[in-house]
Amino acid sequence: MLALVRPDSWNFPLFLHVLGATVLVGAIGATVLIAVRAPALRRLLVRTIGFLVLPAWLLMRVAGQWIDSREDIPGDPAWLGVGFLVGDAGLVLLVITALIAWWGVRRPERRWPVRAVAVISGLYLIALFVAMWAMTTKPD
Amino acid sequence: MDRYDWLLFLHMTGAFLVVGGAVMAGVFNLAALRSERPSEIVLLFRFARLAVGAIGVGMVLTLGFGLWLVHHVGYGWGQTWIVLALVLWVLSNALGGIGGKHEKQVRELAERLAAEGDVASPQLSARLRDPVWLTLSWGSGIVVIAILALMIWKPGA
Repeated sequence: MLALVRPDSWNFPLFLHVLGATVLVGAIGATVLIAVRAPALRRLLVRTIGFLVLPAWLLMRVAGQWIDSREDIPGDPAWLGVGFLVGDAGLVLLVITALIAWWGVRRPERRWPVRAVAVISGLYLIALFVAMWAMTTKPD
Repeated sequence: MDRYDWLLFLHMTGAFLVVGGAVMAGVFNLAALRSERPSEIVLLFRFARLAVGAIGVGMVLTLGFGLWLVHHVGYGWGQTWIVLALVLWVLSNALGGIGGKHEKQVRELAERLAAEGDVASPQLSARLRDPVWLTLSWGSGIVVIAILALMIWKPGA
């Protein structure tokens, strides 16, 4: 019931956090779709990751930290841990994905880079969904 | 987890599908604008249709579970943010629907050109850059962002 009693000063960082997360989900979804169904569009894949996925992740993560500093949540709840884990581990995965996608543009004769991007992005999309469930329902 | 948590989760799932789908549609529409080959434009528009499907499912989820949440929590049905959100929901669907009809026509033209030799055409290029269609499509996305802001600030609650 946190949303019902939230102070006004939390609204802007929460808006940016949710906006970043929703844009990130869409951008990762587009990445998976391109990698699976149109592997030849490698430049589009790199542009999507570089110009949309990574900035959306940054917005989601920075705004998340901002609201965390405002909320001062007691203890170390599991739902918050899931959010931090998916967020922080996600950066490593996304940077690796970006590098692999870029490598795929440089080596168009190789098929593994696009396949790797599809697998990593697909797994991260599932992880984002789990994080969304945890952060929304806040299980004990 | 109680009923409120589940309702909020399903409502949020809808919101992620709507905004995420809009982002995907935006990616593919922008890519189509940069592309000249009709066959590639057809492929990108097919992807955009998948994104529109996600938006449609999300719209139903956000409305259905949103209304259920309003009833469950006990918000007044006449509160500013709820009325505005419903009006913007209808507006977003209307803008997206009108834009979708134009998109279908462009896709069909691209499919015909792809079958006839896959050569770039000024007519296709002009239709892709139709300012009315672009305004409707991007306007629909901006309205969705406005709904998201209403859900967070809840003016009049």
